[in-house]
Amino acid sequence: MKKELTYEELAALMKSSAGVTVDPAALAAGPDTRFTEYGLDSLGLLGIVGELENRHGIAIDGDADSCTTPRAFIEVVNVSLTAGV
Amino acid sequence: MTRETVITGIGVVAPNGIGAEAFWKSTSEGISVLDRISREGFEGLPLRVAGEVRGFDAASVIEERFLVQTDRFTHFAMAAADLALADSGLRADPGSPFGVGVVTAAGSGGGEFGQRELQRLWGQGPRYVGPYQSIAWFYAASTGQISIRGGFKGPCGVVASDEAGGLDAIAHARGNVRRGTDAVVVGAAEAPLAPYSGVCQLGYAELSLVGEPDDAYLPFTTSARGFVPAEGGAMLVVEEARHAERRGAGIRAVIAGQAATFTGASRWQDSREGLARAITGALADAGLSPADVDVVFADAMGTVEADRAEALALADALGRYAGRVPVTAPKTGTGRAYCGAPLLDTAAAVLAIEHGLVPPTPHVTDIAHDLDLVTGRPRPARLRTALVLSRGLMGSNSALVVTAPRS
Repeated sequence: MKKELTYEELAALMKSSAGVTVDPAALAAGPDTRFTEYGLDSLGLLGIVGELENRHGIAIDGDADSCTTPRAFIEVVNVSLTAGV
Repeated sequence: MTRETVITGIGVVAPNGIGAEAFWKSTSEGISVLDRISREGFEGLPLRVAGEVRGFDAASVIEERFLVQTDRFTHFAMAAADLALADSGLRADPGSPFGVGVVTAAGSGGGEFGQRELQRLWGQGPRYVGPYQSIAWFYAASTGQISIRGGFKGPCGVVASDEAGGLDAIAHARGNVRRGTDAVVVGAAEAPLAPYSGVCQLGYAELSLVGEPDDAYLPFTTSARGFVPAEGGAMLVVEEARHAERRGAGIRAVIAGQAATFTGASRWQDSREGLARAITGALADAGLSPADVDVVFADAMGTVEADRAEALALADALGRYAGRVPVTAPKTGTGRAYCGAPLLDTAAAVLAIEHGLVPPTPHVTDIAHDLDLVTGRPRPARLRTALVLSRGLMGSNSALVVTAPRS
């Protein structure tokens, strides 16, 4: 079952939840570029965590919203998603 | 020597025009835009007439990442700030980021955003409330977002002192300039026409529930039935005079004096003394006398008791000059945008001084008080000093004196 968060999905969430437009390929190519450089603030990331929790019906690790880069965020989220019920 | 504070930029987002020029054209011609409320959700409400800002496309002037985290009242404020900054030619100086601050006044915060998120809360549950709710509906949202978006790191503040707080915010900005800030982006814009906000306003005894736009807001007449609400407002760039001169900015007017008093919610008889004291205080602050006032922009609450108190306050404070100074209330053509209302009046006052023209009071004809209320058509006059008055439903009274720049 495919439920892991991808860079493509993250880019779409950044757009829908925080109004930040970013090319998914650029996000995947530079996964260590900090969210703040894309213009995504901590509340924006918190909104993305909430949206993922609602979509998947699980709780995501509490550290997710303090991640500063896409790579770190996807790692933390995917641990929760793959472990989740 | 006291640092003098001048206006170098005006940005307007009003029901009768976006941009100072469009606003002045409608205002000076006495065009009314009061109309039946067209917003979804108002169908069953007894509040039927308002001044809506129509044709405002927030997405065309504000970046998406600011749009998603802000309410309509902040969209108005950001757009008006852009217009004021463009007029002034001021921009954030990366070498001196603390030189420019932001001050706004707010009366109701972000009702539309708040209603949407509260509906999610009770309809779907707390997990469906977005995190931006925590900032979007706050009174402080517009100040914060203008500061972040423009890179203005100087002293910032929010004045929440009722409708007259719009004038108090200008005074607060002047205080910041006196204490050393180069310039302040200051003003107020409101968006109280979400259904939730409409319901909240139904509790105001002074709200006009008249359904005919031509009859809904008739201050200073025996037909006065209350005030019509509006959305929108104005932002100004105010600046230390020598700072403006050094960078070659055009000085549009001088913030000469201000004073505020408080006399209690809906105690209109008492507002007579409060408003008179505010006027006297503002003139003393400006070093001017009643004879110097060339035009008055009235508060014009629109109830018989409140209007009488204002007319008497003018008589108390200006003495024999009260009967001969032209008085106007252009807001009868737009409605009262709460804290945005006195900002629109301040913008109109500066434009009136510049054009030598007192704009009229739309809809009003038979004046029931001993005032020289300008009605029908604009009146040419040599104007150097304008007095702007504002009162709030909760009891605040404020008076501001703006003067023409020294030639």
